Amino acid sequence: MKRSKALKLSLMGASALTLVACDNSQEVGVFETLDQCIDQAGFSRDICEANQKKAQSEHLRVAPKYTSISDCETDFGSEKCETAPQRTTSGGSVFMPMMMGYMMGNMLGGNSRFSAQPLYRSRDDSRNFRTGDNQKVSGKTGVTKVAGQTARAASTKTRTIRRGGFGSSARASTGRFRSFRGFGG
Amino acid sequence: MQRIKVEERADWKTQAESLGFNFHTMYGAAYWDESACYRFSINQIENDIEDPTNEIEQMCFELVARAIQDEEMLHKLAIPEAFWDYVRSSWLKQEKNLYGRLDLSYDGSSPAKLLEYNADTPTSLYESSAFQWVWLEQAMEKSIIPAGCDQFNSIHESMVKALEQFGIEDQLHLTACRGSEEDEGTVRYIEECAVQAGLETNFIFLEDIGIDENGYFTDLDDKRIETLFKLYPWEWIMKDEFGLSLPKSELKIIEPAWRIILSNKGMLPLLWEMFSGHPNLLPAFFPNDPRVSEIEGGVVKKPLFSREGGNVEITEVDGSIIKADGPYGDQGSIIQALHPLPVFDGNHTVIGSWLVASNACGIGIREDDTAITRDTSRFLPHVILD
Repeated sequence: MKRSKALKLSLMGASALTLVACDNSQEVGVFETLDQCIDQAGFSRDICEANQKKAQSEHLRVAPKYTSISDCETDFGSEKCETAPQRTTSGGSVFMPMMMGYMMGNMLGGNSRFSAQPLYRSRDDSRNFRTGDNQKVSGKTGVTKVAGQTARAASTKTRTIRRGGFGSSARASTGRFRSFRGFGG
Repeated sequence: MQRIKVEERADWKTQAESLGFNFHTMYGAAYWDESACYRFSINQIENDIEDPTNEIEQMCFELVARAIQDEEMLHKLAIPEAFWDYVRSSWLKQEKNLYGRLDLSYDGSSPAKLLEYNADTPTSLYESSAFQWVWLEQAMEKSIIPAGCDQFNSIHESMVKALEQFGIEDQLHLTACRGSEEDEGTVRYIEECAVQAGLETNFIFLEDIGIDENGYFTDLDDKRIETLFKLYPWEWIMKDEFGLSLPKSELKIIEPAWRIILSNKGMLPLLWEMFSGHPNLLPAFFPNDPRVSEIEGGVVKKPLFSREGGNVEITEVDGSIIKADGPYGDQGSIIQALHPLPVFDGNHTVIGSWLVASNACGIGIREDDTAITRDTSRFLPHVILD
């Protein structure tokens, strides 16, 4: 047979959202301090230390970044922000929220997608821990379940300095020829 | 190969719309056309289309491997010098290609001839892979066509599998320009394939992409974009303001930069030079080549970077000229021997032969009232029935 065996009726457009929902949930450990982690049944000091260290280094990469401390404090609360090691190209300071805890995914090891990551508390929802990608985790410490997507390593945060640098050739080259159809061939 | 008039499914428009296939009608005329279908034998499909498609792809790889090392070729292809190293390294790092479409002139008996390779921004993907497949299943169910028909079309399966094996660990961003329903539709379909491949996806309009202090590209949440599928021509990326930031950005782009060598009509004379006389190739030359005058019969002039038939000009053997309007052509052109499209019931028919991850996996057929297939041509389904 020269055709696909089966084909999930593919929708174009705003359908993708519905399919993401069936994500596997993951068991994770949420801790504010190293001692909380060590006291948790089944967690050894070595594993707790290694994960905290990993989360601290991830903190520099995944924490939301700001070029003004007041913008950062608007989102995370007064005196809840610190200077990030990054610099802007013009040499200016970059700010980020302080790490308020850390999350350890996949305690038995294996999948790097669910490795340790830092947690934050935002000003408008200070009861809950959130990941660097602003995913709500839990209000309590200890072992809890989160969506697989939340347990994944957070993305690199940066500061966009300019947008709109792509697409000008489309505007320049096509003019009246582009209406309904594009320039695909 | 025959063109057979068939009954239309009464509800196809409603079905298309419920699936988000909104560009089934363009400029007020039907684009999806199921009032007829094309019938092929399995030998025609396998020997005359599938095998030559795979063979042409291998020749194209040889061409790219040579072109990236040959400055004269890169110059002829009008690739800006500032991007030569970038194009070269995208090939040497073996950045993976996802999909492409060869346009073939084939009449059912003589060898299919390569007209061009849409290697960078092919559209008509959804109608080929999904809507055509659904038509086949339903047309058999409703006895519009005999049971036991097959179709050369494992495009969807191949797309999902290719995306699974792409090695994308982080999010896949996908982009198209604002303002084209067809382009956005194509990208949304590829996003759907990516989701079925288990990837996390994020659509962003091209105009919204940003850049940070360190030259990395960013999305609207200020997240760094690691891998980007774009339905936007490489030659335009290279002209855009952000283009020059790409080589240092570590951004992985699908299709990769080396595809500009193949989506470029300049590949036709280069391919002919390397594989002169190959049964599936047409003689082609750059305009200043004295061998142009040796072409027997009519000729076709094609701009190096042209899409949807824009600015293509046919000079028939009697000197008469057929032209398609368009915005392209200020960047040079090539001359190809005219191999007129076969005509079925007054329709000029071109076969789009799909490759996913460099494997031939399906076809889509377009018809036009004129000899140049343009963006107003119609898409018709096909069957395999011996």
